[in-house]
Amino acid sequence: MNASFNIEIRRIRELAPGIREFSLGRSDGEDFPVYSGGSHIVLSLPLGERQHRNPYSLLGDPTVRNTWRIAVRKQEQSRGGSAWLHEQAREGMRIDISAPVNLFPLDRLGRHHILVAGGIGITPILSQARELARLGADFEVHYAYRGPEYGVFADELETLAPGRIHHYVATRREQIEFSTLLAGRPLGTHFYICGPAGMVAASMNAGAALGWPESHLHSEQFLAPTGGEPFDVELTLSNKRFTVPSDLSLLEAIEQQGVDAPYLCRGGACGQCETEVISCDGELLHHDLYLSAEERASGKKIMPCVSRLKGGCMTLKL
Amino acid sequence: MSTLAVKSQPVYQELEWDRSGTHHILFVAAEDAALAHRLLANPPPGSMTLIRLNDSANPDSAWAKQLAASARYLEAHALPETLDLLREALYASRMGTRLYLAGPEDAIWQASQLADSFGMTRDEVRQMQLGTTARPVFCVHCRTITRGVHTNIVPCSGCGRALFVRDHFSRRLGAYMGFQIDAESPGDIPAAEVIYP
Ligand code: FES
Repeated sequence: MNASFNIEIRRIRELAPGIREFSLGRSDGEDFPVYSGGSHIVLSLPLGERQHRNPYSLLGDPTVRNTWRIAVRKQEQSRGGSAWLHEQAREGMRIDISAPVNLFPLDRLGRHHILVAGGIGITPILSQARELARLGADFEVHYAYRGPEYGVFADELETLAPGRIHHYVATRREQIEFSTLLAGRPLGTHFYICGPAGMVAASMNAGAALGWPESHLHSEQFLAPTGGEPFDVELTLSNKRFTVPSDLSLLEAIEQQGVDAPYLCRGGACGQCETEVISCDGELLHHDLYLSAEERASGKKIMPCVSRLKGGCMTLKL
Repeated sequence: MSTLAVKSQPVYQELEWDRSGTHHILFVAAEDAALAHRLLANPPPGSMTLIRLNDSANPDSAWAKQLAASARYLEAHALPETLDLLREALYASRMGTRLYLAGPEDAIWQASQLADSFGMTRDEVRQMQLGTTARPVFCVHCRTITRGVHTNIVPCSGCGRALFVRDHFSRRLGAYMGFQIDAESPGDIPAAEVIYP
């Protein structure tokens, strides 16, 4: 569905235990387009029979057009994507990627920007920091990670914005105190966070309690789809019936049927894949970050990239 | 000649507090005792600053009278000075601030431009028109803004052309568009009527 590129893996670097960086170049030798800070791409990984699509944030300089960079953390419960990138991927291999999409853009009218990264959430923050540095904007970065060896982009950040990078290392019992970080900030300040769910929620709550309006609080959080029990699906518009196996997401199973379903983030955040549920005779397991409580309760909508059905059969308008 | 439902013409809601804010700046450039009572009798949590344009022979302002003792009160006697007070207040303000603008369009849109320059966004600023409906008029020919226009036709304070005042409003400029009325047949200027009392 999205414009795509065939790329070659030019370089693989081990950054820390379980974190690898990939440098990608176009197989046809052409330049990539310029993207905006905070963008991600979707990689199509050849996992046996099927293509497995995973989103990753671009972390390099948005204006460098011959190389794009991503960093991948090996998920403990990987359904194959991050494991493939850690175990099978080699320099010189070619795969398809989508064009960049930005669901986490900077607000260029902001007067001051606070960027916060938790762990591998540093990747979109890095490209945002580069864009802000290039614009000469006023910003600061707060980077939290597990142990000193996991602060993988600390040096790059430091060269980008000397003295404006703050580190919080969990093994040193350092933690970001959001109600302090967000208090007393001048008007026009914008806050951006990418990190684990608990951290994002804590920051959003602190912001709301201090009276920050939603338009100044930006977050990105991609969920990895989890497996689950198999269930049956009927698609009314494309006239298909099939079973979603336990190791595929509903979206992946739909794609495997050759049906072109919409998506952008594949992580339950953007809302693009929202699909109407015509009927279902099992419990909807909503894992997304997008639907409201009322929408969930209505049982009329599902986000196929991360959500599933517990047993039974569902009919979708697709 | 003026059509009512032009999309670009701002529509104002009744002013209400945004109770998610932690500091509230109320900027008022006209009297409205009922509104002052409704708002100030039921203030939101957090601190409050009232900035008032006091240009009337009416020192007994309903705004000033109803204000809680804990609130900050600032006033000036002309619009530019009142806007200066607002600029200073915004400079000292922190995230969590909500701005409420009540008054004639000329005043509230100049105040709103000030808020923009501090990076405030639409969900932090609320506006309501009060008092005169006189219009600020932007001359599309010389780009001067003529303020306090009550009539449908007005001489531009910059270039002197006779301008017809349209309902087309620019939020960026905070003014209605004015076009030369006798561009086709010079000197043929109808009598101006007061339609923005
Ligand atoms: S693709 Fe973004 S929510 Fe499903």
